[in-house]
Amino acid sequence: MAPKRAAREQALRKVNATKQTLAPDIIAKRTKRHLDELEVSPQTLLLSPLNPISQRSNYTEPSITLDDDDEAPISGKNRVRQIVSDKRDPNAKKKKSSTKVRTALLYRKNLATLIEESVSHHHLLVRTPNHLSSTQRIATLPSHIPTYLTAAAPPPQVPPRLLCSVCGYKGAYKCKKCAMPYCDMSCESVHAETRCERRVI
Amino acid sequence: RNSRLIPNAIVRSKGDKTTYFGHQLQRCRDYSALHYRLPFEKGYLVDWDAQKAIWDGVFSSEVLNVDTAESSLLITEPYFNLPNIQDVYDQFVFEEYEFHSYHRCTPASMIPYGRLFQAGGPSPPECLVVIDSGFSFTHVVPIINNQIQWYAVKRLDVGGKLLTNQLKELVSYRQWNMMDETYIMNHAKETCCYVSTRFFEDIQTCRSNPKQNSIVQEYILPNFSTNRHGHVRVPGEESPATDQVLHMENERFTIPELLFRPDDIGLEQSGLATTVAASISLLPDDLRGMFWANIGLIGGSTNFPGFYERLSSELLSITPVEYDLQIYRSEDAVTEAYRAALAFVKGPTFSTHAVSREEYLESGSNASRRKFPGWQSSGLTGDPEISKVVHESTIEERGQPSKKPSRPRMRANTTSSRRR
Repeated sequence: MAPKRAAREQALRKVNATKQTLAPDIIAKRTKRHLDELEVSPQTLLLSPLNPISQRSNYTEPSITLDDDDEAPISGKNRVRQIVSDKRDPNAKKKKSSTKVRTALLYRKNLATLIEESVSHHHLLVRTPNHLSSTQRIATLPSHIPTYLTAAAPPPQVPPRLLCSVCGYKGAYKCKKCAMPYCDMSCESVHAETRCERRVI
Repeated sequence: RNSRLIPNAIVRSKGDKTTYFGHQLQRCRDYSALHYRLPFEKGYLVDWDAQKAIWDGVFSSEVLNVDTAESSLLITEPYFNLPNIQDVYDQFVFEEYEFHSYHRCTPASMIPYGRLFQAGGPSPPECLVVIDSGFSFTHVVPIINNQIQWYAVKRLDVGGKLLTNQLKELVSYRQWNMMDETYIMNHAKETCCYVSTRFFEDIQTCRSNPKQNSIVQEYILPNFSTNRHGHVRVPGEESPATDQVLHMENERFTIPELLFRPDDIGLEQSGLATTVAASISLLPDDLRGMFWANIGLIGGSTNFPGFYERLSSELLSITPVEYDLQIYRSEDAVTEAYRAALAFVKGPTFSTHAVSREEYLESGSNASRRKFPGWQSSGLTGDPEISKVVHESTIEERGQPSKKPSRPRMRANTTSSRRR
């Protein structure tokens, strides 16, 4: 007779459980990096304002000047460059611009810097709610003001659908090494040969 | 109509060995590997050198031929524009171009002055929602009596740029490397993509008969000798073997699908329909019916075939049962805000809304902060008295206010019943 057990126990399932070896936070980092490449919003910037990845652009080349200078790297948050607007029409009569305008033309700041400045320096003016004539300079955003951040759409209510990362069909399976979805064995082998990220940043 | 669309970009063509400023892009011959320099970064104006170069061209004899010192300006700005950026708008308008006066506002705020909601009645509704889906993002903007209800504005970080970038990536992985071909992929997107109302059925159609199904389209890439422009192969059309062809299959609908399911690429946001519902749920209870009945679409990314049908279908199933759903679209979503703004500037109130150069020289950017109240001067909840104001004006205009507005309705064309 089988020995009596104090409480009902279930035998361990002996299944060839294929374990996902990649930690969820690494997957999250990879997704975030991908979204940066697609140039989704600067909301990621607000968490790490000087994230160098987000300065790369998949769509634009901010350094276009009239010289053949497309490869100039962006160094630092403020860059002194040649003014392309002067070069557009070299024969135009040059009127001297005001100091503020010349500053804006010469020192291009990227969005990350501007967001930082608007929040931490005294650029933000707020009216008291009853529209009194006095204005209040504040150092940080008060919590009762709706902002770019509070306006973000709510998180998804339903679990994500997995689509095959190779062909786009329903992705029923996930790669063991890097958790990217695939739909069948042929897509699995394509994935393994081309872009399985065994080592993910 | 007398309006002209000018690309807000400085574009370098390696093939033409030329840099085109804004309007000059139409002279471009070789569209391959066009490099863009955009004054806007992620929806905000940050590159004033580039913007000035483009505007100089627009004001010059090549385009408008205007003396800006003799003109007034209306310019739109993004939602939640940064105050430090807004100051620079003032500087360029008044110190550089010396405009006589100007008005700066968001695109949605112009819509009540236009004709987007014309089909529903002679005057625009007091309560409406504008869905503005453009290049950088998509905003849901509720408006009461021409005032944006900032506390209820919602933003989805999906726009035309993300869709084009995602398309570039998919095509580059699956077919040809198009990572440098922004212009061409953007055109392919606008030509071939659509929003599906039956996503998994379409996925199955593509799967069961690859390259030979009812969905696939062959986009013939431009080759600069015979085809300057890319186009979709028409059935029966012959093309030389040297032509490069893009097979647009599930890409046709999985790309714009991101507006409705951003989580398909891991973006942790709800889709557009859920976001609309979230926005309206922040508004006063007794006004919600009016919002559901007055939803307007603007912006180029609403142009995808099937966008309206898909949004209608999804919204119908989450509209509260006591309300009607009505979505309005424009004859031209790209220029709707412009045409509404045109009506606004011709109207009687424009001068009271504009800041003059004298005012700026006297009080600097304080003048704009006073006259262009924005998100900074609003609170996290709306005006508690606002419902009263709306109901009073509704009584004046239309008699007894009811939850279901009495304006004639167009039924959204859908096969599912409105209420299960």
